[in-house]
Amino acid sequence: MAFEVLMPQLGLTMEEGTVSEWKKHEGDAVKAGDVILEITTDKLTNEVTSEFDGTLLKIVAQEGEDVPVKGLLAYIGQPGEAVGGSAPAPAAAPAEAAPAAAAPAAAPVPAPAAVNGSRIRISPLARKTAAKLGVDYSHLSGSGSSGRITQKDILAAVEAQKNAPAEAAPAAAPAAKPVAKSGGLELMEGDTVVKLAGMRKVVAERMWASHNEIPPVTQNIKVDVTALMKFRKMLLAETGKKYSVNDLILKATAKCLRQHPEMLVSYDGDRIIQRAHVNLGVAVALDAGLIVPVIRDADKMGLDALSAAAKDLAARAKENKLTPDEYKGSTFTVSNLGMFGIETFTPIINQPDAAILGVCAIADELDMDEEGKLFKKQVMRLSVTLDHRLLDGAVVAKFEMDLRDLLQNPMQIVL
Amino acid sequence: MANKTYTKEQLAGFYRTMTRIRAFEEKAAEYFTKGMLAGNIHLSIGQEAAAAGAFAAMQPQDYFTSTHRGHGHAIARGMDSKLAMAELFGKKTGYCKGKGGSMHIADMEKMNHLGANGIVGAGQAISAGSALASKIAGDDSVTVGCFGDGSTNEGTFHESLNMAAAWKLPLVWFIENNCYGVSTEIHRVTNTPDLAPRAAAYGVPYAVVDGTNPTEVYEAMQKAMEHARSGKGPYVVEAKVYRYQGHYCGDPAVYRPAEYMENALKNDAIEKLGQRLLEAGATQEELDAMKQAADEEMTAAVQFAIDSDYPDPAEALTDMYASDNERCVAR
Amino acid sequence: MSKKITISKAIGEALHEEMVRDEKVFIIGEDMAVMGNVFAITKGFLEEFGPNRVIDTPISEEGFCGMAVGAAMRGMRPVVELMYNDFATVAADPLLNQAAKMRYMTGGQATVPMVLRAPMGAGRRNAGQHSQSLENLFCHFPGLKVVAPCTAKDAKGLLKTAIRDDDPVIFLEHKLLYARKEEIPEEEYTIPLGLADVKREGKDLTVITWSREVNFALEAAKTLEAEGIDVEVLDLRSLVPLDWDAIVKSVSKTHNVIIVSEEVKRGSYAGELSAQIAEELFDELDAPVERVCGLNICSPFSPTLEDENFPHPETIVKAVKHVLNK
Repeated sequence: MAFEVLMPQLGLTMEEGTVSEWKKHEGDAVKAGDVILEITTDKLTNEVTSEFDGTLLKIVAQEGEDVPVKGLLAYIGQPGEAVGGSAPAPAAAPAEAAPAAAAPAAAPVPAPAAVNGSRIRISPLARKTAAKLGVDYSHLSGSGSSGRITQKDILAAVEAQKNAPAEAAPAAAPAAKPVAKSGGLELMEGDTVVKLAGMRKVVAERMWASHNEIPPVTQNIKVDVTALMKFRKMLLAETGKKYSVNDLILKATAKCLRQHPEMLVSYDGDRIIQRAHVNLGVAVALDAGLIVPVIRDADKMGLDALSAAAKDLAARAKENKLTPDEYKGSTFTVSNLGMFGIETFTPIINQPDAAILGVCAIADELDMDEEGKLFKKQVMRLSVTLDHRLLDGAVVAKFEMDLRDLLQNPMQIVL
Repeated sequence: MANKTYTKEQLAGFYRTMTRIRAFEEKAAEYFTKGMLAGNIHLSIGQEAAAAGAFAAMQPQDYFTSTHRGHGHAIARGMDSKLAMAELFGKKTGYCKGKGGSMHIADMEKMNHLGANGIVGAGQAISAGSALASKIAGDDSVTVGCFGDGSTNEGTFHESLNMAAAWKLPLVWFIENNCYGVSTEIHRVTNTPDLAPRAAAYGVPYAVVDGTNPTEVYEAMQKAMEHARSGKGPYVVEAKVYRYQGHYCGDPAVYRPAEYMENALKNDAIEKLGQRLLEAGATQEELDAMKQAADEEMTAAVQFAIDSDYPDPAEALTDMYASDNERCVAR
Repeated sequence: MSKKITISKAIGEALHEEMVRDEKVFIIGEDMAVMGNVFAITKGFLEEFGPNRVIDTPISEEGFCGMAVGAAMRGMRPVVELMYNDFATVAADPLLNQAAKMRYMTGGQATVPMVLRAPMGAGRRNAGQHSQSLENLFCHFPGLKVVAPCTAKDAKGLLKTAIRDDDPVIFLEHKLLYARKEEIPEEEYTIPLGLADVKREGKDLTVITWSREVNFALEAAKTLEAEGIDVEVLDLRSLVPLDWDAIVKSVSKTHNVIIVSEEVKRGSYAGELSAQIAEELFDELDAPVERVCGLNICSPFSPTLEDENFPHPETIVKAVKHVLNK
């Protein structure tokens, strides 16, 4: 009997994965331990290896298909062996995963999902338009009779996404897929094409979703880090430990967030979730894209522990060795582009956070003291993007001012 | 009661037509029984003399309507037996390209045949309308409406005859009274021994003749046609005939008393005319030759029908409308 | 140049012009000649064209409709008048079994170039047997063409075309339109069958309709305009052949449709159109197609009852708002 290759569970919270690429094809010989396909979860790309020797008889889940954990991916067995005769009985219902004629990778819009288990009322025209424009209508409320979503509602949703969406998918929901526009562009001489896949695809989808759903405001503040830089040197001199600027900023941010719980909220459709923990997401740039491992309860960690955690996560992220649970559950995110000399930017919120802190480069600046004497100081800009659905400019400004004050009085960070 | 004297050649003309009708009907029955004809056919075996006599009185410019039992009329009018048989077979070479079948044979162009009709009595108004057209156009054609005893009790018999009489239309109605409307004997549902006398109620002259005698029918029809052509209005001729078969081919006609067929066979028109021909100097060989020629003609007609193709299924959508057909049948 | 005449006069002009143009055209029906028709449409025709071409019939609808079929098969162009379209049931066989089918049954040999003019419609308090709208009945039978104009201009132009057409045409005239005075061109003109006319452009919803209900739809559109709803009124004018292209164009623009007719709703031609739109334009629709028709009842006599039985402007306004959820 042929063996079944099932979607692995990579972390406690994982519910489904996407087949990103088949490394082996139907008819290929495989040995136990061979990588047979790559799957993508929320953020990571993982390899699935064979547990069996044999031949890859049949690929059930095509590239781009979402398959629930323990859902059937493929059969491995002896050549000529019949497969699929006995229905696989995965723990998770394979209904969406099973059809062999799977939706193509570029399926633009999720099928009309059930909201609270009921069918979505949407007019044929609106459904067609939503598919064309890539609008996820599963959370729209319809203006037609009996609440039917009409063409007008879809067009309004598109407009709202462009400007300030009055309604959007809850932040906690899986990211909506970006518009698939394959084949739309004309190729020019010398152009090459790669398929949008793997982490790049996940990043694209999540950034698109965040950017389209959240009405963002970015507020910049200038911080005098002269004292901070001295403090860093002092720590090195006194303890022999070299902390990065980033370590200090993470520590200051975690501490400041504890004092500003209003920053730790998530938008969830018709409710707001107040987060209990300061779980700091730390954006890490990779060759393949971007990942945000999470330091849990960062406010409760000492500088040492925090620094060590940040280093460890970044290193493992770069080796693609994070477990899915390690890049989930952030409540606030820090993205540091200071080392690249970026002076200011508008970070995109890492959903379901309500805000993100962008850390910019440190630069020398001339200033004048009260007596009119020029002096040099080191400054750094912080760029905070907030979800204006949940947070207002003044509220976040207070957080930013407190964070600035903390960084300008670095002793307070560790006290 | 033939008063006139007929030459051997004249009688042979009737004989030829009658044997052709019978041969056509017998071939049709044979192949219907073999399952090679679709639908139903209604045979006019036993009514050959009526058709032969009546149609002999018509001029080329005259028009006629026919009925579901109309093969004999078509043959008597001189229609091509091949095309008629092909229509019965539902072949594209048939008179109506296989779209009408036995009950709707027509030849508008060459024979002024305005169509057999599946609706009993429908030809009464249509023939009257054709006569109206002749009157308005001022031509000298007469229209003959052929129908059976059963249809004389349709309302349109009275409506149409009334109008034709009022407007003096060049119309002759030829009733072939075989006494049966499907299974119902006419006298069970009609109080008069004859049907044509109803014409008198509308001021229309009529005649009742022996439909097994072609010359008697011919003479009555000649008189009727002359009357109509001269602008005096319609005329009704009733010919008493026998319907050898049941209503349709295969109907065992159990509703009929045995005497009906006994009388019919005693009065078989072809037998009687054969006797007259022999008396007029024809030889049995000549009679047999005519019968054989008829049989050969109809055998060839059947072969033609069998050899012909069925219509292309795409033809189902054509001929519904004279203009804008495609759009009209599309939705 | 244009002139303002009643619709009955416009119909009379069409008949007159065609009778002058083609001597094969003749008119036949009850009270057509001496009386000149109950709506005076053919007054004076008998004197001008003589009794051979202007024919008063006895009350024998089956008979004279059947005779028209026979005459038409002979190349004449009879224009038959039924006093009420309700009497088509009396003349059902010649119209539905003969005229409609003759061409097909004869494999294309016969043509039946006749026109049946049939006054239709509710609102004259004529009760159950003189108030019906039987578009569905006529449209059901392949072989017939069916025309139902609203305006004087359309009535004249379409009737002239119908008379020249080689197929049997059922020409439905709404009784309550006869007396309306409307502008029509002075010079001779014809209007082709199967060409709908946008009587009012709009972008929010298409009202597909014909005959008298076109006027009601236009009134409704005016009311709705004041409320910011922009309704398109598509007058089909001829039901067979159907100007499907016009329907596609309009529905693709407005995405919302109601179909208004005075027919009994059950089994109506409005329902047939609704089905076609649902089948073929499903992806253009923003709401279900609604039929706005008469009730599934016999036409009542008393005004308060009869008024329940055909769509009024207010009925149309209500239906439009229902579809648009306004």
